[in-house]
Amino acid sequence: MTEWIPFELHTHTPHSDGRHTLLEMCQTAARLGLQGIALTDHNTVSGLIDAEAVSQETGIAIIPGMEWTTFYGHMLTLGAPYCEWRDLGQGDIAKGIARVHEQGGIVGIAHPYSMGSPICTGCHWEYTIEDWEQVDYMEVWHETMPPIKNHNVPALRQWTDLLNQGYRISATSGRDWHHSGDRDALAAYTYVGLEDTESPASSQAVVKAIRQGRLCLSMGPVLEVSLRVGGKSYRLGDEVPLQEVNSNEPAQLSVNITRSSVPERPWGADEGCMLIITSNLGELSRVSAAGRTQWIEGLSLEGLRWFRVELFGPIHGLLATIAFTNPIYVEI
Amino acid sequence: MAVLLATEGKLTPVSSKTHITYQFQLNHECEFLDIDFKYAPKQYQDKAASHALIMEAIEKYAEPEWAEPYKKNWEGFYPLQNLLTLSVDGPEGFRGSAHRHPPEQQHRICLDAGLTSPGFIHGKLAPGVWKITVSVHCVVTPECRYVLEVRGGEIVD
Repeated sequence: MTEWIPFELHTHTPHSDGRHTLLEMCQTAARLGLQGIALTDHNTVSGLIDAEAVSQETGIAIIPGMEWTTFYGHMLTLGAPYCEWRDLGQGDIAKGIARVHEQGGIVGIAHPYSMGSPICTGCHWEYTIEDWEQVDYMEVWHETMPPIKNHNVPALRQWTDLLNQGYRISATSGRDWHHSGDRDALAAYTYVGLEDTESPASSQAVVKAIRQGRLCLSMGPVLEVSLRVGGKSYRLGDEVPLQEVNSNEPAQLSVNITRSSVPERPWGADEGCMLIITSNLGELSRVSAAGRTQWIEGLSLEGLRWFRVELFGPIHGLLATIAFTNPIYVEI
Repeated sequence: MAVLLATEGKLTPVSSKTHITYQFQLNHECEFLDIDFKYAPKQYQDKAASHALIMEAIEKYAEPEWAEPYKKNWEGFYPLQNLLTLSVDGPEGFRGSAHRHPPEQQHRICLDAGLTSPGFIHGKLAPGVWKITVSVHCVVTPECRYVLEVRGGEIVD
């Protein structure tokens, strides 16, 4: 059984340039309906000293991380201790990523299409990735109200292009949370799919789920997706083996749309909402989601390499992507 | 209290994306290291020169279809700022950093977690070679001067 745990995966405290303490942030996180955060201060891990006490007080799981805040791009790391970046140049990011992997962590490209220096120093990704297999995830939704932020459009496009090229890179949302205010716009959740035997406080379990792509990015509702074929069920991040593709047995796609219980996030399978299946073959299906919290449809696997599910509809009067999942992959 | 390092420097835009590392010797274990760091100017007040730099950055980084609206609102990115950050390494490894924006900073590293400044890693201040690095993320002003002083506290037996 998979539990979908709402996380905020990009945060800062006064240990770098954040303006709320870890305690203040986690208190706010609890009010916002989050169950976990990743602490990703710029170029330091010292803020983790308060993690255990804050987690106990607020009930918010805290995953250790850091934001490599380099001259040529910002890279999030999760589940690793401090890894050295200052000796690396613009051509050395592969070496840097390997350092994080050797320490058991994962890396994600933060806000790849933000403005760069001198407007925002190092914020635009200017490293050349020689092997995209090395990259575990990309922050394709950045800041509050990410569905309507300009710089997320090319990030989503690049992620989709990479999926089409056969890379299996997870997608996350990150608020880049520096301070808590009463009138802040809403950020998205990254729902992390954990086994019911796994604790959200387990950094290893969360890192594994992010690497695997058991993720749904959402302004509110969680989209639970499973594909049933050959008597087996496949979840987000799974790969359907070639033998199932060749068996010509019909695959059955099931999507459950579950509204968030947080009142500020009322969106779900409402009037005006569409459920969209996107894939390497383009858009496979687009149907009204109004009133259909559970949705089952046959899906042909022919030619598919990956597909994901999106919920599109009105948020505060704007038509936008309300939620989308990471892919289920198909072996080719 | 002993002054372990007292230095200053002048940077120009060419210094952007460089690190300047100072190395000093700690002969005995210390109770604390105090660091004073300041740089100026912080903001680039030359509006005409900033306009050119902002336009160049928009041209380079914005999606072509959105470049014009960004250019029309270029003042939203004004004033541009210099950004220098500090980090410290001891004989046994990384001891933290202060990636933050105020141009005048004071930090302490010591055994006591509660007294160690945010960003830095508390613990023993072992004798040996210590390094302090100024990471020059960005200098936009024609000139930027910094002053750095490190002092070591009471020596423990």
